[in-house]
Order: sequence, then structure tokens, then C-alpha cells
Amino acid sequence: MVRRRVPEDLRQAQARMTHVSLHGGPDPAARAAVVSVPGRLATRAWWRSHSAQRLAFGYTLLAPAALYVVLLVGGPFIFSLYLALTDASVADPVATFVGLENFRAAVEAEVFWIALQNSIVFLVVAAIFKGLLGTTLAFLLLQNFRGKKIVRGLVVIPFTLPIAISVLSWKWMYDSQFSVINWALSGVGLIGSYGSPDWPIWLGQPYLALAACIAVNVWRTFPFSAIVLLAGYTSVPPDVLDAARVDGCTFFQRFRHVVAPMIFPILMIGFLFDTVFTLSDLSVVYLLTQGGPGNATKILPVLAYQIGIQAGALGRGAAIALFLVPLLLPAIFLVLRNLKRRE
Amino acid sequence: MSEPRSVLIDDAAVSRRGFLRVTGAGVAGGSLLAMLDARQAPAQVRGTSLRILQWSHFIPAYDAWFDKFAKEWGDKNGVKVRVDHIPHLELPARMAAEFAAGAGHDIIHNGSSILTRLYHKNLVDITDIYDQIGRKSGGWIPAAKSLVEVDGRYYGIPMFYILLPMLWRKDLFDQAGLKPPDTWELARVAARTLKPKGHPTGIQFSQCADANLNWRSLLFSFGGAEADPSGENILVDSKEMREALRFAKALFDEGMTAEVFSWDDASDNRYLASGVASWIHDAISAYRTTEDTNPPVFKNTFIGMEPAGPGGKRVSVAAANVYMIWKFSKNQQAAKEFLVHVMDNDREGMVQSRGYNMPYLNANYAKPMPVIGTDPKMQILQDFPKIVAFYGYPGPFTTPIQEVVNLFVLPDTFTKVARGEPIEDAVKWCVGEYRRIFARHKRA
Repeated sequence: MVRRRVPEDLRQAQARMTHVSLHGGPDPAARAAVVSVPGRLATRAWWRSHSAQRLAFGYTLLAPAALYVVLLVGGPFIFSLYLALTDASVADPVATFVGLENFRAAVEAEVFWIALQNSIVFLVVAAIFKGLLGTTLAFLLLQNFRGKKIVRGLVVIPFTLPIAISVLSWKWMYDSQFSVINWALSGVGLIGSYGSPDWPIWLGQPYLALAACIAVNVWRTFPFSAIVLLAGYTSVPPDVLDAARVDGCTFFQRFRHVVAPMIFPILMIGFLFDTVFTLSDLSVVYLLTQGGPGNATKILPVLAYQIGIQAGALGRGAAIALFLVPLLLPAIFLVLRNLKRRE
Repeated sequence: MSEPRSVLIDDAAVSRRGFLRVTGAGVAGGSLLAMLDARQAPAQVRGTSLRILQWSHFIPAYDAWFDKFAKEWGDKNGVKVRVDHIPHLELPARMAAEFAAGAGHDIIHNGSSILTRLYHKNLVDITDIYDQIGRKSGGWIPAAKSLVEVDGRYYGIPMFYILLPMLWRKDLFDQAGLKPPDTWELARVAARTLKPKGHPTGIQFSQCADANLNWRSLLFSFGGAEADPSGENILVDSKEMREALRFAKALFDEGMTAEVFSWDDASDNRYLASGVASWIHDAISAYRTTEDTNPPVFKNTFIGMEPAGPGGKRVSVAAANVYMIWKFSKNQQAAKEFLVHVMDNDREGMVQSRGYNMPYLNANYAKPMPVIGTDPKMQILQDFPKIVAFYGYPGPFTTPIQEVVNLFVLPDTFTKVARGEPIEDAVKWCVGEYRRIFARHKRA
């Protein structure tokens, strides 16, 4: 086989092509040069091509993250789908396919609709308060004052305390007889004494009980919202804020027109996390009221736990828990769509 | 090598193999008898380990004693024993986790929510020791059987139960010229009289274990029932149920405050210990708490028999406690030996629990019973075994009943009425919930 000598101009074009491809692909001249060269390069297998190798390398780097998601999120999700479609019980490893029977059983029960309604109220009200309190706290922590670092450490305590300990402390504070909140309010004359009609029974009156549970959830997790906002705010270049200030923007205008758009992706991710945390929060309600009084605070995770684990009907418990997915999907959709638009 | 020859001894031919078989069996039997007599486990359990999971007892001193007791048994028999304690509400979840993993403890304890029927296929059939323990101690009380029996076999050892008697303030009753609360009607009159004097009563109208127990005691004492003896048919749609609901509504309106809607299992303990309550219907842990925290109130707190309903019937629904052995346990023999040993020392358990643990064995009701038999105020508890019942009465504690209990259907029915819902609406809702739950289990 006779080896043809490559002309000098073509060699230079190839060298340019290699150089340019590192920055986004060959230029037109180089492409023309490649086309003009007959031989092995044009006919070799696709998987040995440069682009295929780049693709493979990219997927290799992505693999650990993808594997993590599949194993820790996809696996359990598929498993819960499987449970929801069977008559699985906590005490029987062999389950029979029952179709949508568990979902039918769930929607037939009055308590399910109460739990669904409470879950939505819980989510929306908690999100509003966490947003307000989290934002306020974040801006307070942005101010310069003595002991700022200590205060920043202290505000995350509710979030880091073991949930059982913090909720049991709240249970004491809500106690019908010894509530420190009531005794303090009574002490300053805002309510009557113990036994009087205006003495609040925090966990005994339906709306008050739900509000009390939401308050504990907000107390526990609003520092998280504040930290997310704080992290986003500190990533905004100071000169942008200075420019806005020089242009005469007020504090709220700066926040609305400069900061919020810049940290929007962070806010959205924080919102998504918060929604998931709130909807799946079993402990606060379970430890405070177990869903009572008379199902006034029953939310879907508590109901799923009571039926799936305590009563042993794993299939029905899984079906109830899966109703959380349609509640979460709109939030996920909104967040991802907004992020995509911004990209 | 020659064939074994028969040797003629007293006109009987005995081969070497036959001789070894007979003498071996004799030695083994003798050893077993000697072992049982000495209360020692067989040699094959030596060098093994045994793990026990149970609740954190409401009397902490009992846990300390039990751990020591288990260790001593282990040391004596060469078994490494480990006892883990968790809150009783976590036991069902832990049980599910251990079953799913096929590993965990050898012996597992159930308190109040008894899961024998749910898990029986995965539990060791311990009919042999159930019978043996019963024979030794004059039999089991009638209510014990329904907790652990499935199709004529036994899958658990009823360990003790917790009574919820009347705890009432004799000083307040005397001052108001009231009779002791021997009937529900007398209890209502007392609450109605003492509430205006600052001493209301209280029973949980909430979602907690005591609410499940207390309202069933009232319902059953009024002649009501939950399921028939087969456990298949629901009996809550009854005249007695409506009577009980009507009574509960009156009791709430006349003698309680809205606090009861927020109560948990310990709230009534605190209510009594604070000196506010005129009477409560609760376990004697409330009595013991008061002894420790408010001696003057304790001095005037008396324990009463389960109040009688309008027809004179008394049924006391108690919180059951049962031990079971997992089939996956690698040390079932030691687990059985240990349970027998625990039951042999049942009376000591009563002492260590300060009279909190009530026995299931008839022999242990010989008067005077430990602790409660020697305390004049507690002696009345010795008369409870005849009237004690569990969830599902008069039927067994089945899996549908377990779901009814876990979803607090019965306390919620009482709560609805107390909050002003018409009785017929509440009963309709209650019956609907029972039917749906029973139907689902039947379909499954």
C-alpha cells in the first residue's frame, strides 16, 4: 500500500482544527480539510470516534450521581409503587397483586380526605410563615452587630436539635394544665387564669391544634429557609447592590429587582426542599397529637404510618403515602420550569 | 469383628444398641427433670446469646430489676443476655423492621398493641411452654387466651397486664357527702358535684392508648360489645353503645373541661397529682406518681373497683403485654427457657413493678397478692381478674380490631358526641369505619 504524503497546507488546517475543536468545534476550513481526506479516519467505528469518547467520559462522570439517585430515590419509589399495588402486610413477605384496590380503599375512607385537606393547609400555611420568618431572619443576620457569628450559630439550633426532644419540649409548653405559654399570657393579663373559658387548650381545640403543629414545624425549619436565603444573598456581588443603591433603589426595590432575580434558582431549590420536608414531616404531628383531637391534625404521613406500620397493612399505607406525590409534583414542575426558562 | 450378641438377662434379650438407647433416654430424661427441678437451662444453650426487646416500663425500677434478673439467668446458664428497651409506641415499627430484615432480637415484647395474630406465621409455636406454665400455676385467666391463640396453637406468653381502675379523692367525696364511685352513675354525680368546686374529672377524648382503653371499659360495662366471640361480626351498632355515648356526653358536659380533648396518656396522671382531679380512670402509675410528687393528695387518693354500668355489669379493659419468639431466632431453646424462668418469677415481677404488673396466672391471684395484697388501698385490685377484658371484647384481638384501635375509631366516636355531634350520626360513622376496616381485611 502506497502511503500518500499529506500536503503542508492540509497539515496546517488539521492542526488548526484540533486547536479550534478544544473551544467548540472545527472551523469551516478545517471541516473542508477533513472531508477532503479519504482513508481510515472516515470509516472507523462510531464508538471509537472522538465525540463518542467524549460522550462516554461525560456519562462516566455522571454515573455515580445517577446511581445514587436510582438506588436511593428511584428504588424505594418503585418499591412503594409495588407495595401500593399489592396486599403486602408487614408480617407477610408474599404479596398478591390487587391493582388499584389500595387506592380505592384509601379514598373511600373519610379520614383520608381529612388528612389530605390538613396536609395541604399544613403545607401552605407553613410555607408562608417560613418564607416570612426566614427572610426576616436572613436580613437580620446580614446586619453587622457584635456576636453576629454566635447568633448565626444559635439560630440553627431548632433545625439541628433531635426532633423528639424539641417536640416533647413543645408538648410541655402546650400542656393543657402547665403550659408555660398560658401561664405567661395569664401573668401579663392577656388571658384569664387556669380554668377560665379563655384559657387556650392548644392541642385540644381542632383549629388551635393544627395551628400549634404548624407552629412547631415552622419553628423547626425556618432557620433552614433563612440560611438558604443568606447563602444566596452573600453570593450577590456587592458592586451590583452598590450600583442599585447609587441609582436610588430602596431596600425593598433592591431586594425585589436585584437580589431576588439573581438568587432565584437558589430560592427555588430551597422552596422545593422545604416543601418536601413539610409534606413528609411525620414526627411533629405524631409526637404532639397522633393526629387528634378527632383527626383534626391528621396528615397523610401520620395516616400512612398508622395504617401501614401500626395496623400492618403495608400496601394500603404505601398507597396513602403515594398520594403525597401528586401534591409534590406541581411544586417540582413549577420550580424546574422556572429554572429551565432562566437557563 | 463379630456381630453384636444378645445377652440373656432376667429372661430378656438386650442388644448393645437397645441398651444404649434405653439408658441414654433415661439419662436424658433424668437430666431434664433435674434441670427443671434446679431451674437450669439445658447444656446446649451454654455459650449462646439471647437478645430481648421490650418497652421502657412506666416503673423505671422494674427495668433495672429485669435487666439484672436476665443477666443473672444468663450467667447461671452460660448465655449472654442483652435486654434493649424502647418506648412502647415504637414497638410495632421495630417489629416490622426486624421481620423485614429477618434479624434482630430473639424475644420481642408487645405492649397494648398485640400483634400475635398478624405475625403468627413468623413466630415460634410455643404451645408446649404455654401449657407447661399454665399447668404449673393453676391455669391462665380466661382473657389471656385470646391474646396469643391462633387456630388452637399459642404463639406468645402473656406476661402481665395493666389495670385502669378508678382513682378517686376520698377527702373531696367525703366533704361533699358523696358515695364512692362504685358505679358510673355515682362517678357522674361526683363529677357534677365537684366540678363547680374546682375539682372536675377527666377521661381522654383524644387519640391515645388510654382513650382506647377507658371508653371501651365504659361501653362494655354498659353491656356493649365490639365483636362476637368469632371475631368476625361487628357489634358496635347497639342500644348499649348509644346509652354509653349519651352517658359520656353528660359526663363531659357536667363534669369535665375541654382540656380532655388534648390529653395524652400521662395527662390524667398529672391532673391527679396536681390535686385538681376529683377522680380519674387510669393505671396505678398515676397513683404512684402522686405518691412521689404530692404526698397529701396521695394520702387521700383511693383505688376503686371498675364502676358498674346501669345493669350492674363491670368490664375492665386492660393494656395487655405479651412476649413472643421470632422464628428467625437462632436461639429459640434459650428463649423458651428464659420465658419459663420469667413466668416462674412472676410474683417477683409484681413486687418490682410496685403492683403495676398484673398476672395472667390463676395461682398468682392467691390472696394476699404481692404488694397490692398488703396495701389496704390497693387490695381491691385483687378482684379484677374476673372482669378483665381486652380489645375486641367479647371477641379476640384480631387484626381488623387492631386497625380500629390504631385509628382510634372508638375514642373518636365518643369525641364526636362530646363535641356535640348527634349520637345517631356518630354511631353511623363508627359503624361505617368498622365495616370498612373489617371488609378490607376480609378481602385481603
